[in-house]
Amino acid sequence: MNADRHGTHAHDSVTATDTDAAQESGPSTDPELNARIRPMRSGGNTLPWKLLSLLLALALAFSLWTGHRGATGQAEGGTVADSVTVGLKLAPTNLDIRNQSGTALDQLLIGNVYQGLVSRDSRNRVRPGLARTWNVSEDGLVYTFNLHEGIRFSNNHALRAQDVVDSIRGLMAGHYQGSEMLEGFQDVEATDPLTVRLTLSRPYQDLLWQLSGRAGLVFDRRAHYDMKTQAVGSGPYLLESFRPNDSVTLKADPHYWGSDKPKTPTIVIRYLNDDNAAVNALRSGDVQVLAPVTENLASSFRNNPDFQVKEGNDTDKYVLAMNGKGAATSDPRVRKAIRYAIDHRQLIASRGGSDRALGGPIPSLDPGYQDLTGLYPHDPEQARRLLSQAGYGPDHRLKLRLTYANTYGSELGDQLRSQLRQVGIDLDVRVVEFSVWLQDVHANKDYDLSLVDHGESHDFHQWANPNYYYNYDNHQVQELYQKAMATTSADDSNRLLAQAARIVSNDAAADWLFNYRVTTAWRTGLEGFPVDLNQSLMPLSDVTYRRG
Amino acid sequence: MSWEHTDRPRRGSRAAFPGRLGFLGRMRVVLASMWRKASERYSLIVLVMWILFSLVSRFWTPVPIWTTDGYRIWQAPSRDHLLGTDGTGADILSWLMAGSATNLAISLLAVLLSGVLGLLLVMAMVSRRSGVSQVVVVLVDALISLPTVLLALILAVPLGPSIAVVVVACGFGYGLNLARIVRPQALLAAESDYVQSARHSGVGSFRIFCTHLVPNVIPVLCVQLSMSAGTSVLAEAGLTYLGVGVPSGLPSWGHSLTTSVKFINVFPLTVLWPGLVVTMVVVALNLFGDALRDAIDPVTNPGLRAAVAAAGRSALQPAPQAVSAQLDDSDHLVENAMYAGEGGNDVAKY
Repeated sequence: MNADRHGTHAHDSVTATDTDAAQESGPSTDPELNARIRPMRSGGNTLPWKLLSLLLALALAFSLWTGHRGATGQAEGGTVADSVTVGLKLAPTNLDIRNQSGTALDQLLIGNVYQGLVSRDSRNRVRPGLARTWNVSEDGLVYTFNLHEGIRFSNNHALRAQDVVDSIRGLMAGHYQGSEMLEGFQDVEATDPLTVRLTLSRPYQDLLWQLSGRAGLVFDRRAHYDMKTQAVGSGPYLLESFRPNDSVTLKADPHYWGSDKPKTPTIVIRYLNDDNAAVNALRSGDVQVLAPVTENLASSFRNNPDFQVKEGNDTDKYVLAMNGKGAATSDPRVRKAIRYAIDHRQLIASRGGSDRALGGPIPSLDPGYQDLTGLYPHDPEQARRLLSQAGYGPDHRLKLRLTYANTYGSELGDQLRSQLRQVGIDLDVRVVEFSVWLQDVHANKDYDLSLVDHGESHDFHQWANPNYYYNYDNHQVQELYQKAMATTSADDSNRLLAQAARIVSNDAAADWLFNYRVTTAWRTGLEGFPVDLNQSLMPLSDVTYRRG
Repeated sequence: MSWEHTDRPRRGSRAAFPGRLGFLGRMRVVLASMWRKASERYSLIVLVMWILFSLVSRFWTPVPIWTTDGYRIWQAPSRDHLLGTDGTGADILSWLMAGSATNLAISLLAVLLSGVLGLLLVMAMVSRRSGVSQVVVVLVDALISLPTVLLALILAVPLGPSIAVVVVACGFGYGLNLARIVRPQALLAAESDYVQSARHSGVGSFRIFCTHLVPNVIPVLCVQLSMSAGTSVLAEAGLTYLGVGVPSGLPSWGHSLTTSVKFINVFPLTVLWPGLVVTMVVVALNLFGDALRDAIDPVTNPGLRAAVAAAGRSALQPAPQAVSAQLDDSDHLVENAMYAGEGGNDVAKY
């Protein structure tokens, strides 16, 4: 999960200036030589002369240098840059989007290199992609997609309906990432070169949204390449180079078929795992945009006209999971007491204040969202009451263990320990490697409390799955979720999901600390970089950078 | 031949503690001479304060350390928070005080471990069995190339982040160093006449090591062990930053540094405090080692020499008996040697 940072890209303009300065300092050696010869002849007091000539030489070099800079500044003033460097945090380990999990790949490749049958907009709604239009049958079982004409892969192969069919069939046969989300999939076929028909065995409300992600990506069935290091898609960008844990270079495809032609010819993506290094890279101009920036670090860019800072909406939920089968946490009174004991506003304030309170499992950009923050307001008195009902008190304090991955830092654990202590819960905080968390908590479900940023969108199914690590088993919720997915009406589906989410939140199956909103900072002059959802969906074709 | 004469000599040589000045009296002279120099006074003050803060923090800190306030993070120093607050709104001074106890424990344990390990290795290295000594010398030379950090990272795999990782990694690494640095001094002493005569008098090798060799290397030990203590403070900070040192939830200076160093560009003060404490303590420990070596060695400390001489003059009364006792002893040296020969293998290794 952690990525190291190797190497740097010297920014073009910086290296140019350096060499210019080196050349212009050339004439300064002459006066210096003269100054050195003179004392041999006179042998007198020559130090002032030396200093004077050195000063003169420096002044000459400086004036030449600044003059030159001014000239280039005027020449470049207002020009659109050929290349934009984007700073991101988590690097993908390889480019195999069919087998490698992690949103870093979705962020990099979907919409830029690979394209799906349908796409998403910044509000997380389904929009046309390779398919221009689509129809859904009355019973919600047959989806017919009409493809755009003239779509070409970057290797100039034409994209036909058969490519779509082969991609989806390959996905299901190979059990690739995303295949598990195509519930009730029955078959997919090409009725003509531009029409694809997908049939389901039972209606599935979420199908289109799922097809806008990995499940709907279309690959060139005739191309042979190593998916771990290369990518051949129909998107606006070509993958030029991939340096694991360091950078990715994207070049605009001159023959791109779509109307959203890329505005910047070259986009370099650099992965900067260290927050300070990332901030310094933005400040020094090594990168023109940075996402995410730690909110507390972004403060140095606010009120600075050279930079813009904005928080984007996202679907990241910081979930404090409470083991439904834990020794103490199986008691709903204990779980509710924990929810009452947590002061969410304070947690958000300590993180810089840009995150949003979230009272339930569904964030605002997902279907079925409703504001549930009122269910468990911060109320330590109520928490203590519930704990004493559950049999805990000053002489029998409740001891719980919180296990979470070290990628989230120790601050949240420290704060939770402090807040829960006030109601009589002793929290033993264990900050572990992500792999240890995966083993102990996610696989073996050996935990009391756990903290994870669940960044996925449309992931309510976790609460309808009794085998998930939450150990949350509520038949009513499972039924409501099934109904919500089986209905053909989006409104009904949203209503049912909202109902189920309220039950999950009421049961205090977990506590949702906050909805993390990604802060993005960029250099003034850069435009078109997505701010919302940019950790999973980062279309780059609109990005331009006008040097000031 | 009377049996009482076959007793082995009770007192070793007094290279480091010559004369008959008592331990407390000696300490008084040593501390007084250290107090005279400003740099050494500084090291004494800092170390005493370190110990004091560690003790006090077990019972009291200005603000309980598990009090966070999300609305008052990264606060500048104020009346409520003398050094300000950190990223969770906790009091920095309280955390540094609580951390001093952890760091003191780590330093003491690391010094103890490195001292014991180092001396055991020295014992093997100056062994008269050339096989043992050569093997150990080569082994130490090889192991010394293992960086402490690497060792800690390896240890952290089974142990997870814990104090034990820091203590074992530091103790092991510094113990090896200690052994290498002490060995020449110990070898020199082992070749000396008094050790030879002790050996021929049938004194056991372990006893010779403790009574003759260790006092000889005490000046070097002082410097090395105090430097180890200082380095272990630095190592704790570094290893905790890497995530293999003190686990989160346990206050330590490394923890305070780690949580604040991310924000060094925005809130530099919060990094300054723990950094300052670490620097002050490490400098104090390094100065302390040098000062102690100078102060306890009568050769370099005229004050101690004078005190020992004064104590020796006042202890002149029983001198004739002592001389006669020594003569007695020398009469029976041969017998002692014979006894040693019967006594078994534990003698005469040096």
